[in-house]
Amino acid sequence: MVFGSWVCLLAPLAGFLAILAAGNRITRVQAGIVSTASVFVGFAGAVVAFVDALGRDAEERGELTTAWTWLKAGEFQVGLELLIDPLSLVMMLVVTGVGGLIVLYSVGYMAGDEEERRYFAYMAFFVFSMLLLVQGGNLLLLLVGWGLVGLASYLLIGFHHERASAVAAAKKAFVMNALGDAIMALAFFLAIAKVGSLDFGVVFEAAESGELSDTVVALVALGLLGGAVAKSAQIPFHTWLPDAMEGPTPVSALIHAATMVTAGVYLICRTHPVFEAAPDVQALAAILGLVTLLVAGVVALVQWDIKRVIAYSTMSQIGYMFVGAGVGAYGFAMFHLVTHAFFKALLFLAAGIVIHHLAGEQDIRKMGGLRKALPTTNLTFLVGTLALVGIPPLAGFWSKDAILASALDGGGVLGWTLYVGGLIGAFLTGLYSLRLYLRVFHGDSSVEHAAAHDTHHGEGPRSMVLPVLVLAAGSVVVGLLNIPGVWHPFEDWLEPVAESLTHPSTGEEWLTSLLAVGVGALGALLAWRAFRAGRELVPDGSVRRTLEHKLWFDELYDAAFSRPAQAIAVGLRERFEEPIVRGGLDEVAEGTLRGASVTSSAQTGLLRTYALAITVAVAVLALVFLVVR
Amino acid sequence: MLGPGVPWYLAISVMLFSIGVAGVLLRRSPLIVLLSLEIMLNSANLAFVGFSRLFGEMDGQIFALSVMAVAAAEVCVGLGLIVAMARRNLILDVDRLTELRG
Repeated sequence: MVFGSWVCLLAPLAGFLAILAAGNRITRVQAGIVSTASVFVGFAGAVVAFVDALGRDAEERGELTTAWTWLKAGEFQVGLELLIDPLSLVMMLVVTGVGGLIVLYSVGYMAGDEEERRYFAYMAFFVFSMLLLVQGGNLLLLLVGWGLVGLASYLLIGFHHERASAVAAAKKAFVMNALGDAIMALAFFLAIAKVGSLDFGVVFEAAESGELSDTVVALVALGLLGGAVAKSAQIPFHTWLPDAMEGPTPVSALIHAATMVTAGVYLICRTHPVFEAAPDVQALAAILGLVTLLVAGVVALVQWDIKRVIAYSTMSQIGYMFVGAGVGAYGFAMFHLVTHAFFKALLFLAAGIVIHHLAGEQDIRKMGGLRKALPTTNLTFLVGTLALVGIPPLAGFWSKDAILASALDGGGVLGWTLYVGGLIGAFLTGLYSLRLYLRVFHGDSSVEHAAAHDTHHGEGPRSMVLPVLVLAAGSVVVGLLNIPGVWHPFEDWLEPVAESLTHPSTGEEWLTSLLAVGVGALGALLAWRAFRAGRELVPDGSVRRTLEHKLWFDELYDAAFSRPAQAIAVGLRERFEEPIVRGGLDEVAEGTLRGASVTSSAQTGLLRTYALAITVAVAVLALVFLVVR
Repeated sequence: MLGPGVPWYLAISVMLFSIGVAGVLLRRSPLIVLLSLEIMLNSANLAFVGFSRLFGEMDGQIFALSVMAVAAAEVCVGLGLIVAMARRNLILDVDRLTELRG
């Protein structure tokens, strides 16, 4: 188990370093193959570890392996250690499995790009960072992975560095993530000060035993939540995710499905004892999730960019996971994470085929009727859409409904609010998903992309179609790992690490499923009728404008933080730097120059003048000495 | 003590030094300037040796030896410079070598 997980962690790193070291000596395609292979080797390692763990008793599946003491300061000690347990194994399998398919897809998608080697090196690095995050055996290593994921996303979102908008989006993502990292680091400082350790076990024990004051536990939990919210693009740190669509499409898939945004959910499940010791903060996580899933749902209704619609759907689905983790249904939150990884990667990669086919066009107003040109993509995209809406028996049906049922089981005002909000979210999901699907694949082929058809790539090379098919198959079957009332191996698997606080009855689950499918189908139906009538879902007007501006979040942050910071900077430059710092330096420089021009006139260049000066000076000195004596 | 007294040696040393100074200040050929410098150095040597004899200690003589070594090195550099100047067809006149005027 230990060996497998080390292979899993180090293979992508090796791939990254190999591409880096090889430079121009390998071709672009070879770089793609190295990257893909390294991630799949990592997947093999994860599978080996998984099979090993399957063979053990449930209680013995967790293992902490320390390579060496990494950091030591007095009493405080941190080891370079990996924690392999059911939770990290699930993440390892998803990250390397889905991630590997995405990297494989990139080989076809990125073919012909000038800087493919750099791209593939970054992809392997991204997967490595995420693995370090989920395998890290203590909070500090987790934070290292956390930061590296932010770096990798920055590099990949800004991959098209010749486009100003891509660079801006990369910066935005990095700043938002750095903010989250900083908040999390503060929580860790507090933990070091109060507990004296960053080991999972020690911190959890301290949180559970009640030896820390409630305030401290709440602050640590808040810090963790801040980090999770920023990484998972939940309100109020969500604005970077839609902009991150500037990156190449497989990067979006990797960010949304396998790595990065799921990290927040993983963090809450991993550190659930801290959250359970601070129930208010845990409720806050659920509320933030609910707000995000609703906001993202309504904003997605009016977006025109195919990738942005999917991006908002990701925010919305992560919102569900936060709701799940917030009510303590860790098993279901992770379950939704896994199923979501499949159908979201599927949607992005299928959208990538569409974009590839249309030579870079992303505006759904210029698409339509593509089901004839791209039959396979049409089918797989439909599978992804229905899985997203939660139509049985596809993946999203089993996992999303389980989360809602848990909210219902949690009960109380919070539980009911989450339940009703989640159902509204399911309705919105039906609306925007079907709107997207119908706009892209049905209706008339628009005139605008007639030109693209001439040079069309079809559905792309096999390396692009194969991952999509695998993911589509996954989207159909993965959900079957948890069927209420029949079997629930997935929940049992996570039980030793994160025991769920809620246990919805079979009746609750089936009732919820009925309702959720009903509202989802209703949303889908409405979207279909609107499409048939040629209407938009949201009529023109102030509501639509507000939604198109994403509820003015960008403008708000711009006015509240960006502008004041700029004003302060400009003020400091004009009032302080220019007159005092630079002005002072200028004075000094001018004075030196003036002094130099005066003294330089003494340098005549005449050797005999110097000799005379020396002689006279010595004579005067000699006289002075004689007289003074 | 045989021979003339130490003051005589010092007197000659002063005379040689003055001649050297006059040479450095008045002559314009770099070669002569160098030569005058040598005279000044040797006048100092004479003074060293004279005082050494006066006080009956060897310090002065040791100093004189080191001055000779330094003088030899200095002559090498000085003559080298003059040869270089001659090779470049520069006029050998210290009053007209004023490139370094500030």
